[in-house]
Formats: sequence, structure tokens, C-alpha cells
Amino acid sequence: MDERVEVTLNINGEEYQLEIGKRWTLLYVLRDVLNLTGTKYGCGTGDCGACKVLIDGEPVNSCTYLATRAQGKEVITIEGLSKDGRLTPVQQAFVETGAIQCGFCTPGMVITATALLRRNPNPTREEIIAALDNNLCRCTGYVKIIEAIELAARRMRGEA
Amino acid sequence: MAERQYEELKEFEKQLEARGLKYVGRPRPNREAILKVTGKAVYVDDLRLPNMLHAKLLLSPHAHARIVSIDTSEAEKIRGVRAIVHYFNSPHNVFNSAMRFYGDNSPFDMPETEYIFDEYVRFVGDRVAAVAADDPFIAEEAVKRIKVEYELLPAVFDVDQALAEGAPLANPHGVDGTNVCGGWLAYGSHSEEEVLKAIDEADYVFEDTFELSKVHHGYLEPVCHVAYYSPDGKLTIWTSGQNVFCFRSVIAQALGLPHSKVRVIKMIVGGAFGGKLEVLHEPVVGLLSMRTGRPVKLRLTRKEVFLSTRSRHSGKVTVRTGVDKDGRIRGQYIRSLMNTGAYAGSGPNTVGAQSGKTFLLYDAPYMFYRGAAVYTNIPPAGAMRGYGTPQIMLPRETHIDRICREMGWDPVEFRLKNVLRPFQNNCLGQNVHNARIADCIRAGMEAFRWYERRRAAEATHGQRVRRGVGMGLAVHGAGWYPVYQDLTTVTIRLHDDGTAVLLTGTHDLGTGARTILAQIAAEILTIDPDLIEVIEADTDVTPLDLGAQASRTTYIGGNATILAARQLREQLLDEASRMLKVSIDRLELDDGFVVVRDNPSQCVSIADIVASAQRGSTGMPQRELIATATFESRTAIESYAADFCEVEVDTETYQVRVLDFLAVHNSGRVINPLLFEGQVHGGIHMGLGYALSEEMIIDPQTGEVKNPNFKKYRMFKAADMPPSIRVITVEEPEEAGPFGGKSIGECASDGVAGAVVNAVSHALGVELRRVPLTPEYLRSVVEASRRS
Repeated sequence: MDERVEVTLNINGEEYQLEIGKRWTLLYVLRDVLNLTGTKYGCGTGDCGACKVLIDGEPVNSCTYLATRAQGKEVITIEGLSKDGRLTPVQQAFVETGAIQCGFCTPGMVITATALLRRNPNPTREEIIAALDNNLCRCTGYVKIIEAIELAARRMRGEA
Repeated sequence: MAERQYEELKEFEKQLEARGLKYVGRPRPNREAILKVTGKAVYVDDLRLPNMLHAKLLLSPHAHARIVSIDTSEAEKIRGVRAIVHYFNSPHNVFNSAMRFYGDNSPFDMPETEYIFDEYVRFVGDRVAAVAADDPFIAEEAVKRIKVEYELLPAVFDVDQALAEGAPLANPHGVDGTNVCGGWLAYGSHSEEEVLKAIDEADYVFEDTFELSKVHHGYLEPVCHVAYYSPDGKLTIWTSGQNVFCFRSVIAQALGLPHSKVRVIKMIVGGAFGGKLEVLHEPVVGLLSMRTGRPVKLRLTRKEVFLSTRSRHSGKVTVRTGVDKDGRIRGQYIRSLMNTGAYAGSGPNTVGAQSGKTFLLYDAPYMFYRGAAVYTNIPPAGAMRGYGTPQIMLPRETHIDRICREMGWDPVEFRLKNVLRPFQNNCLGQNVHNARIADCIRAGMEAFRWYERRRAAEATHGQRVRRGVGMGLAVHGAGWYPVYQDLTTVTIRLHDDGTAVLLTGTHDLGTGARTILAQIAAEILTIDPDLIEVIEADTDVTPLDLGAQASRTTYIGGNATILAARQLREQLLDEASRMLKVSIDRLELDDGFVVVRDNPSQCVSIADIVASAQRGSTGMPQRELIATATFESRTAIESYAADFCEVEVDTETYQVRVLDFLAVHNSGRVINPLLFEGQVHGGIHMGLGYALSEEMIIDPQTGEVKNPNFKKYRMFKAADMPPSIRVITVEEPEEAGPFGGKSIGECASDGVAGAVVNAVSHALGVELRRVPLTPEYLRSVVEASRRS
């Protein structure tokens, strides 16, 4: 139904040669072609952030991002963050502080937090809150998510 | 549960407490946290079954119409379309999507008004047809090509229109030819006339009517179902739901299958809050799988979630109160009209639940509740965190503040004078057990520096940006007792390496139910909670449960876990006694071993005991160490909350900012403080949105939801939350609860909006009679008050 195109995508450090629909979103390709289901569909309109992935280090809503645009870029999904089964400091802090309830916003939150701390290792509380502007959570009131990001930042700076 | 069994259980808990609790009362992260934080948790939409088809619904564009004809010929021509179902080719078995147990279909409580597909559509978003196709794009295209001829019918959208003389019937099942769903519920301490007379005879009489908005749960995981009808005639449904045994009944009834041929499996749930308590589109997916013999998945878009699922009842609530000069409430009368939308669902039951909460907070000798659910042509309302309770707490708490303003009472002092005290009987003669609401108010007043901050806020009232300080109260139960049966069964099995598996029909919605049950079992069996697997909510695998609703999980599930673990402990001690040749009364479980109390070096591990029992080594028959226990609730226990907040209102833009929020909760003993706090934080988030920003806006002409997306349906973002949020607990144990615990899930949210509206009223010096408090509404109220 949709015109097909060949693309080469770099996802979590691996190259994939795929034939995909021209109008398929990156989210659809991740979830339904590559079975990388850690990235979630929450709204489809770029308003909730559950589908966030890193594209060249920037957090991007993959539900409104055409997969063809990701060619030549480095895409990191939630599955690509932890290495050798070890949690990243951001992931570890989310677990410990109780920032995870239903968990559906969690992959997007972790992606956003990871990008923030790479860019700004010592964010103020206001900067953390500003970074979460495009991530919705319905369970936690964001309280423990903000605490988790603060804890991860301290640990990554070697302060905790 | 027999009286004796109950007493033994409580005695047993006391013995454990005397020993010192190791897991109960300690913070512990949600046991699914690592799976979730790495993206490995499998939600329904993450299921991948061989040859799975994708479904799409055709939803009604009209608020009320009869379907004259459906032409699917163009849709069928598309390659990859495998089945199309609609009114003219599907079974017509009536059901109620909120039915909880077999035979639960009384026309008063649970009227049966729904079909998989009906001849009529009754709201914009009602189901017309569904397609199963090889991929979601084909399914979507096919849906567009279905041609439907409608005969349009008149419609009503709000309760006033619906109850007007000669109003069109939104649904034909209303009582006595009206739009009243189920019937009026009316009861109180005395007759209606006596209560109204007592109010009128009081020194002061106040009456307010409050308009309540329709809000959505806003769970982040859109509704998703997978069905597979296998060649042996068995239908399996994987769903993101809160009540698998209820779902089994409804799905079986809708499709005409015996219960043994339907299996419902709950997957990890991405938020529910009541919105996944009723069967949604599961029967449609089941039907499509039966037609195709292939697995079928339906995942709604966010827009479809807003249009075609459930939401909180909007409506109108009037509170009339008589108060004497000394500040005592003499009588109170509440009239509630809940807009239940196009189908009954849990409408009448929500009214019933809300009526109960009316009597459990204030100590007035005369009280009466009269309420009804009302059919309209808008998306059906259903359960949502509070189940009718916020719609009582919010109007009444703002009404109480108005009484305080007019009579010159401080809101804290007036409430302290009038709330129910521990172990008091209310006006219906019900005992409220260890109801610590007065303690919550006092603790909050102190922690919030109530008087000082009220005065400081009042000092800003001549300025452009004004501050206000307010409070609100709430009460919520734990379980259904004494309204319906309320039971759950837990099975625990011990493995021969000393670990265990706990099988429960309880549903974890991300709330941490599995974590808490493992903590409770671990406390008794002295096995590390991480070594107790918890398998939940699968109708063919786990014992019966009645769903994650009514804030019942910790209370009912926790007590069943204690009973089962205690039986298993007895089996362990019995076998160990034979192995060690020591009498049982000298044995104790300690950290994975049975030890001889007066000679701790003499011990045997749980692993060895299990192995011994399985081999029959001590001369007993070979056996598995396994225990199953059912807990039956015989006590209504209530949780209480006093919420305090400070707001800032800009009197040019009428933007409200919440500066500080304090929630004081009496939930008995807290089993897991980390998860408990998380529940309260989330409850505050939801209550703030209810008060200030969230509303499903219904087009008054078409009945359509005008803002079915997260851009226009405004849930609070991180930046909208108060910079300071605190949670305090009053942990007086409740005897009937597991280790003294009560509920938190719904009480976390019930009182929040009342506190916020009262704070904004304090800032602006006006009476507020609706939510959400949009800038436009606030401006109109302030300008109207200036004119008068």
C-alpha cells in the first residue's frame, strides 16, 4: 500500500539493511520490524515522550519521526543503553528511588535523562524539570523521577 | 472467615511483630523495576505471535443513530483483509461490561445494555465494525472503505438535558421510560423528609451545587488486547486489565462460550486507575480470532482511547447542610446526578459506592443521600480512582469551606469539631474502626503551619499575585464488604531448593501489589522476597480474585497471603519436628531454617525440609509442601486523608500555580513506604489535574470529545507540579488489615482537588462551583462577584 524504500539504519551500534514503507515512523520500524519493543507507543502525536530514542545523542520522539530520516544517524534505544547486563547510573537510580511504577513512561524518561546528563552533568532541579517538558508520567507525579535524575547526576560526578 | 480463624490470625501477627518485622514496613523497589527500566518488560502490545493479524475499529461519527446498512464490499477487496465483523454478522448476546461475577446482572446494579455490535450507536466513538488484516495499515485502509448508512436520532449530552421532560432516550434501558440508569438510590439516617426538616430547623442552612467535569485516566499505555482462538476451541485473551475473572465472564457471555473455554491473562499493565477495570474491546478481538483462526491484536490510538474507553463520571452534586450556632453540623443532604454516558457499565454501582462514603467522614445526626446515574449520548463513564468518591469529596469540602467563611470558622477547627472519631458509630450505626482523620488534620495543621500561612497568604490579597491556603478531607474503603462478597485465594508452593512461588489472582497495575504480597509471605516464611516468585491474574493458572478495584488489594490479598503462608509454616515445622525429633513448640522459622529455639545450632534448612517431605523420609506419605487459603472480608475498614495546599493566583492572567502540597494519610501500618509514597504522589498529580487543567470537552452540538489528545487534554507536566510535596502518615494500625495495614490507592487522590479549590477560593475571596479552574472560569467568577 505504501511505496517501499531500502534504507540502512544504525541502531544500538548495529547496521540494519531494511526495505520499509516510505512513510513508516521510526517507532514502527523499531517495534514492528526489528522487534525492539522497549520503545513505547503512548500517543502517536509527540506529546507524551514514551517513544523517545536518542538520535545522534538528542532525545527524539520516534512516533513522529520518519524512519527514512534516521539514515546516516546513530539511533540508541532503551535496549542499547545498558552494556553487559549492567544498569547505567540513570537506570540504577530510577530503580532505587522508586521512580518506576507502571513503567510505561520509563524508557522515554530514561532516554531523556540520559541525554540531559550527557549534555549537562550538573543540572539544577529547574533544568531537570525543563528537560522533562516532553515526557508525561501518570503514576509518580514526577517526584521520584526528579530525585532519581538528581541521584544519578551525583553518582556520575562521583559525589554519591 | 470464621471468628475463631480470624482471632488466631491476629494472634499470629502479634507473635511475628513481637519477634521484630524484617520485610513488612520496609521500603523496597517495585519488583518489576529492572525489567521496566531496561525496556524488557512485556506489555500486551509487545506480544508477537506467529501469523498475528492486526485489528482496527470503525467508530461511530454520530452521537445517536440507527444503523440501516453496512456495505463492506470495497473493504473486502483489499489484499490482506481477513475478517470484517459488525452488527449484521455477529452474535447478539447482551452483557454489562462491568459485571464482576456470574449472575451479577441485577437491573438495579448492573443493567445489561451492551452488545459486541448493536443496531444502534449511542455516542461518537461507539463501535460500528472491526477489521482484522495482515498489518495495521491494511486494517486502517479497510475501515475507511466500509460504507455505513445511518438514520440519525436525537441525542442528549448532559444530565439536565437527559432528565428534562420529554427528553430523547439516550439508552432504551432507563427506568420508567426515563434516562435514569438502574434507578434512584436514596437512604439515610432517617427518612428524607425527617433529614430535610432537621436541616431546616438548624440555626444556619447552606446549599451549593457543584458541576463536575469528565476526566480521563490518562494511563500512558493505550488499551491493547490480543486474542487467539485455538483449534481446540479455546479462546485465550491477553489484556492490560484489572479484573481477569470478571473479563472471563463477560467475554464468555458476549461470545456464547463456557467459562472453561475462555482464558484471560493479565500482562504487565502500563497504568489503569480504574480505566481498565471494565471489559473494553476484548470480545471484538475474540470474535475476530474465532472468525480467522489466527491471533489478532488490537491496539488503540490515543485518540481512540479518549473516544472509545471509559472515563470519570461528570455530573452535578448538591449539598445542603444545617449547622447550629456552636458549629456542629446537625444535618446534611446530598443529591448527586452522575452522567454515566451511553451504557450502564458500572454507573449505578458508582452511585452506590459514592453514597457509602457520604456517611463515613462527618459526624452529623441526620444525613441523607439521593443519587442516580443518568444515560446520555457521550462516551460511557466507568471506574476511575475513587469510584464516585472525588465527586462527593470535592463538592462537599468546598461547601464546608463556604460554611466556614460565612460563619467565621477556621476550616481546620470546623472540621476538627465535626469529623468522626475512632471507633465511633456514624449516623447509620456503622462503626468506623480506627478512623484517625482528626489526627491527620492535627498533624497536617502543625506540619503545614496552617494559621501562620493562612495569615501570610491573606497579607497578599490586595496584590496582583495572591496566595491562598486550603485544605480538604477524604475517606476511602478497602474492599466491598458489606455490599458484595469479597474474597481472594492465594496458593504458595515451596520448591526443594528452599524458594517459593505464590499464585494469586490479585492484579499488579504498577502499584507494587506483587512486591507487597512477596514481602508479607517473606515475613512469615523467612525466605528472601526476591526468592518468592509471584504469578498473578491468569484465569487458568491462579486462584480466584475479584480484581484490582475498591482499594482492596493490600487488605484482601495481604490477609490471604498471611493465611496461606501460615499454613505452610505449620507444614514446615511439622516436617522439621520429625526430622529433628524435637517437639513443634520448641521450633521456630528463622532466615530460611527451622531452628530449635533453645538450641539454635540444631536446625534444618527449608530446602532440606521440602526435599524430606517429597521423599517421605520421615515416614509420612510423599507430599508437596503447598498451601491454599481463602480470605473473606468481614470488616469494612476505611482510610482517611487530610490534604493541605498553598496556591498562587495571578489576578491578571488567572493562572494558578500550586506552591506546596502536604498529604497526611491514615492507612494503618504502611507495608512498603517507598511504594506508598509513590501512590500518594501519583494521587496528588491526578487530583491537581482534576482541579486545574483536565477536562474531556464535549461539543454541545455533536457530543464529540473535542480534545482527544495529550496536547489539548492537559495532564500536569513536571513543571506544573508543586515545587514542594510532602507525605506524612498517621500509622495507627487497623486490626483487620494485614499487619495493621489499610488501603491507599484511591484515598491518595480523593481529597486533593477539594484542597486546591479551597486554596484558590481563599486567594480570590470567591465561591467556586466547578472544575477545572480554568483562567476563563476564574476570571468570569471574579468579574461577576465585582459586579454584584
